[in-house]
Amino acid sequence: MLTCNKTADRMVVDAPNSNGPFQPVALMHFRDVAPAEQEKLFIQKLRQCCVLFDFLSDPLSDLKWKEVKRAALSEMVEYITHNRNVITEPIYPEVVHMFAVNMFRTLPPSSNPTGAEFDPEEDEPTLEAAWPHLQLVYEFFLRFLESPDFQPNVAKKYIDQKFVMQLLDLFDSEDPRERDFLKTTLHRIYGKFLGLRAYIRKHINNIFYRFIYETEHHNGIAELLEILGSIINGFALPLKEEHKIFLLKVLLPLHKVKSLSVYHPQLAYCVVQFLEKDSTLTEPVVMALLKYWPKTHSPKEVMFLNELEEILDVIEPSEFVKVQEPLFRQLAKCVSSPHFQVAERALYYWNNEYIMSLISDNAAKILPIMFPALYRNSKTHWNKTIHGLIYNALKLFMEMNQKLFDDCTQQFRAEKNKEKAKSKEREEAWVRIENLAKSNPQFLVCVDSSDLNSPVAMETDVPSIEDVQRLRKTVEEGATQLQRDQRKERPLVRRKSELPQDIHTTKALDSHRRGEDMLTTHDGL
Amino acid sequence: MKDLQSVDSLLLKELKLCCAKESSFLPRDSGLRILEAAPAENHNAVSAKCRDANVEELWGLTSFFGYSAQTFVQAVNMLDRFLTIMKVQPKHLPCIGVCCLHMAAKMVEEEHVLSPTRELIRISHSKFTVSDLGRMEKIISEKLGSPEPQAVTALTFLHLYRSAFEALTAGREELPSIGTLEAQLKACTCRLVFSKAKPSVLALSLLAQELNALQSTTAMKAVQQLQKHLKISEGELLHWREQVGRCMAQYYSGECTKPDNKKLVWIVSRRTAQNLQANRFCVPGLPTIPEGNWDESESEDSCEDMSCEEDSLCGSPGSDGGGAYFPSTFRSTCRE
Repeated sequence: MLTCNKTADRMVVDAPNSNGPFQPVALMHFRDVAPAEQEKLFIQKLRQCCVLFDFLSDPLSDLKWKEVKRAALSEMVEYITHNRNVITEPIYPEVVHMFAVNMFRTLPPSSNPTGAEFDPEEDEPTLEAAWPHLQLVYEFFLRFLESPDFQPNVAKKYIDQKFVMQLLDLFDSEDPRERDFLKTTLHRIYGKFLGLRAYIRKHINNIFYRFIYETEHHNGIAELLEILGSIINGFALPLKEEHKIFLLKVLLPLHKVKSLSVYHPQLAYCVVQFLEKDSTLTEPVVMALLKYWPKTHSPKEVMFLNELEEILDVIEPSEFVKVQEPLFRQLAKCVSSPHFQVAERALYYWNNEYIMSLISDNAAKILPIMFPALYRNSKTHWNKTIHGLIYNALKLFMEMNQKLFDDCTQQFRAEKNKEKAKSKEREEAWVRIENLAKSNPQFLVCVDSSDLNSPVAMETDVPSIEDVQRLRKTVEEGATQLQRDQRKERPLVRRKSELPQDIHTTKALDSHRRGEDMLTTHDGL
Repeated sequence: MKDLQSVDSLLLKELKLCCAKESSFLPRDSGLRILEAAPAENHNAVSAKCRDANVEELWGLTSFFGYSAQTFVQAVNMLDRFLTIMKVQPKHLPCIGVCCLHMAAKMVEEEHVLSPTRELIRISHSKFTVSDLGRMEKIISEKLGSPEPQAVTALTFLHLYRSAFEALTAGREELPSIGTLEAQLKACTCRLVFSKAKPSVLALSLLAQELNALQSTTAMKAVQQLQKHLKISEGELLHWREQVGRCMAQYYSGECTKPDNKKLVWIVSRRTAQNLQANRFCVPGLPTIPEGNWDESESEDSCEDMSCEEDSLCGSPGSDGGGAYFPSTFRSTCRE
């Protein structure tokens, strides 16, 4: 093991597979050697770059040699970019090996100072310290892959499944620059190595499954999805079953995850691409979205609305008819949402000409679903902008079909009156009961005038069977009645819950004496 | 055939009284003819089409603010009367319309239902101000004679007729609900042609058309009785019944027109606007990778057997990077 410094704890490593020791001298430039010697020099430089330097715990170490490596890498990038026929067979294993040595490393754990999980939406990523070298290695490898002299048939001996697996593991890096390079690199590999495609897809699926169902943590989902987008775009028709399963079992469940905002645009693109390829997938996709529809996370709801509009933009009218009822029931809920961004986004659908034409073709089914939500909120919503948008939506409905609109209005009013009548009836029933109770001669005896809300003392006599049965019947009726009727607005009264006290805690607290009590003051204060 | 009861004398007296008053609330005939004659795309004079469009707007606002049909009918009555006595420029029509609606609402609706004028203006995307509205109100009430009592309109007669019918048929006939009749009247009101009819005749025509569909001879006899009481000529009734029939045919046709949302203004909050902008689409940076039909194997087991598959793929295009996968333009940009 050759070190550049006498201290033993330097982390300079000599690559175990390189032939020959590390040359502590800067090698010559390509332009200074004869073309016949260039291949040998190339290999030497590649091997030299297999030495790793420490950028993290001691950034100022070996500055000279770090610069040598950087210069070598830079020179090699130029060399293969501007020269033809320099990528010969012996070069391939060296390049792949150099890349592997530099790149394939265990990623450090999340460096969040509080020890909490890295939140991709909030936290600043930790950048890779060795980036000055890593960047050049990535760039070099990419040029290598993209060179017109590159032959996948030769390279496939070295770029194999193990290589790809390790490459995919790097996608969890926190450094976005690294992920960007990885994305492009994997994209090229996928394009050129047909034999690796199925393996890559399988491994990506595994990453996604682990992300969705086990960890909910991975930094590279967006990049992976971007690659998949370009793959999906290239699918041949008819779609293979494997791809359809991928959509239903992987892409759709990705909507569930909490950190959706990090990769949503890429995910939505993938989904829409699928639907453009095969429109028969529309119904399962829309139903899955509705199933995963966020119930408490409003920013996520806005994202779903964005995606849904994009899907509707490309939907076939025949597919639209299949999903319109559950879809508009969900839209009706969104329009009534007290969160103004959700309501606005949902109402903005009415500005989409294609969606409006779909609605007008199916107005008889859709209008009765949307109308109550719109009409009810036209005055009661707290946000004024929403009023304006609701008016636009109602106006468009009115223009579509006057009679249908009038029918919906009448029905709405009729139902409202029915509700009012019912609640009035219930109110009167209560009053009647109260009056009946008051007319009982024992009323004044039983009532405690000082505190009407205190619990009544239990009777020591056992209640009769008939009483119990009557009580049971009343309770059952009352319970079902409540389910059917709508609840009247009643001010909510909070009740504090009584928690049982732990005897040890109570004892400990009692016996605790504060330090100040035990210490005596010396100043006589 | 059941015998008809006689109409309650008080009701009859009221009907006759309304008949007497109704002519004073009719829009001027000459003005109506001018409106009808005006070409549709004129910028100097209000045309029938223009008026109809405006009335539909008013109906939209009535519905949105939860005003009653009476408010709407009163507003249109005021609008028609004003338009037939004043020469108005089309650009002022929205202001006049909203003003009439507001005035009608003040007359008819309860205090708590009324919306403030700025709300009316904001919702209807109108370009005029609250003070403009105030001035217009003064002008209108001046021209129509103030304080303006509630006009006798077709709606008034509809309510009266319906009560009369119930009395006449002694509740044995199924009458169309008042809601349905109001909706039909509203549809008619949206067309200028019906402003020429006397309200009593229009209301009876509407009712007659509706009852005709029910095929009840008792009901038709009741219509005849009312016609006799109010001295409505057969010819007049037939004429308007025909007009109503045509209007209703279109109303009930159930065909949906594609709405034109270019006239509407969509105001959203800043955050939503930003969100919409951001989504105007992230074009992916990676080029498409076409899937060949002959490439990778179907099942996953043959992943291990890749070597034997690949020999057959040796001759595939694109393996040397010069094939169909990457467009040449893309390759050249990467050379730097």
